[in-house]
Amino acid sequence: MNLDDELRAALRREEPSRGFAQRVVTRAQSSPATKAAIPIFQPVRLPRMMWAAAMAAMLVIGFAATSEYRQMKAERAAHEAVMALRIAANKLNMTRDKVLRLEN
Amino acid sequence: MFTQGIAADIPETMTDDPEQFAELVREHQAMVFSMACRYLRNRALAEEIAQDVFLQLYRKLPTLESPDHVLHWLRWVTAHRLIDHSRQEKRRPQSPLEDAPEPAAPADSGDPLLSDILRDLVAALPENARVVMILRYQEDLDPMDIARALDMPIATVKSHLQRSLALLRDKLSRTKGVGI
Repeated sequence: MNLDDELRAALRREEPSRGFAQRVVTRAQSSPATKAAIPIFQPVRLPRMMWAAAMAAMLVIGFAATSEYRQMKAERAAHEAVMALRIAANKLNMTRDKVLRLEN
Repeated sequence: MFTQGIAADIPETMTDDPEQFAELVREHQAMVFSMACRYLRNRALAEEIAQDVFLQLYRKLPTLESPDHVLHWLRWVTAHRLIDHSRQEKRRPQSPLEDAPEPAAPADSGDPLLSDILRDLVAALPENARVVMILRYQEDLDPMDIARALDMPIATVKSHLQRSLALLRDKLSRTKGVGI
């Protein structure tokens, strides 16, 4: 007995019940979804100038937003630098006071 | 294989002519239905899934380029639909083949009973291994074609085949009177 041959015999093709193809065709014709695929995303139909204007507006908005963001970052960095200098100055003053106290 | 008439008409007129589409279904129905039937061991469910696959084909036909493309698409969709179905379907016990009960001894009735046992054992294999075995022994595809049909590495296909055959041999050798 050969397992390969036995498997081929056991798994040989089998026909479905009579009228299978006709049932499929009937379902295909009656199902509205199969008649025409309805596109979910249809491209918006706008004149070319409108597309160009929209693109330009998006670019301007993007540029303005980027500039604003950069300016905010620069201001924050300057503020942090001033704060760091103040802290450093305070520490230096404290150290200087300690040294003076030790000398006296 | 395709008849010349059908092949020549893909894809323009197939969905417009119900009889031509019915002919295409008849051409492939045994393959799709048998894959589902062997995989699920349930004729009614197999027929339902086969119908769904052909309905999907009906929608997809205009994008399929040749009879070979149709055949490859049908195998791919059927295999994946079956795997998805059994993953979603929690009604079927998902026990591995090692845990499956020993099949009944085939006594002396010969091939029909042995075939039935083999179908049960194949149906108890894990999803991917089951589809690989069905494509190998029902469709007579070699490992390279199976790998292509399932988008699976060929090493994985070979490993599924070897492991499944070893499991089947082991199960069968433990049954009385079957030595393969």
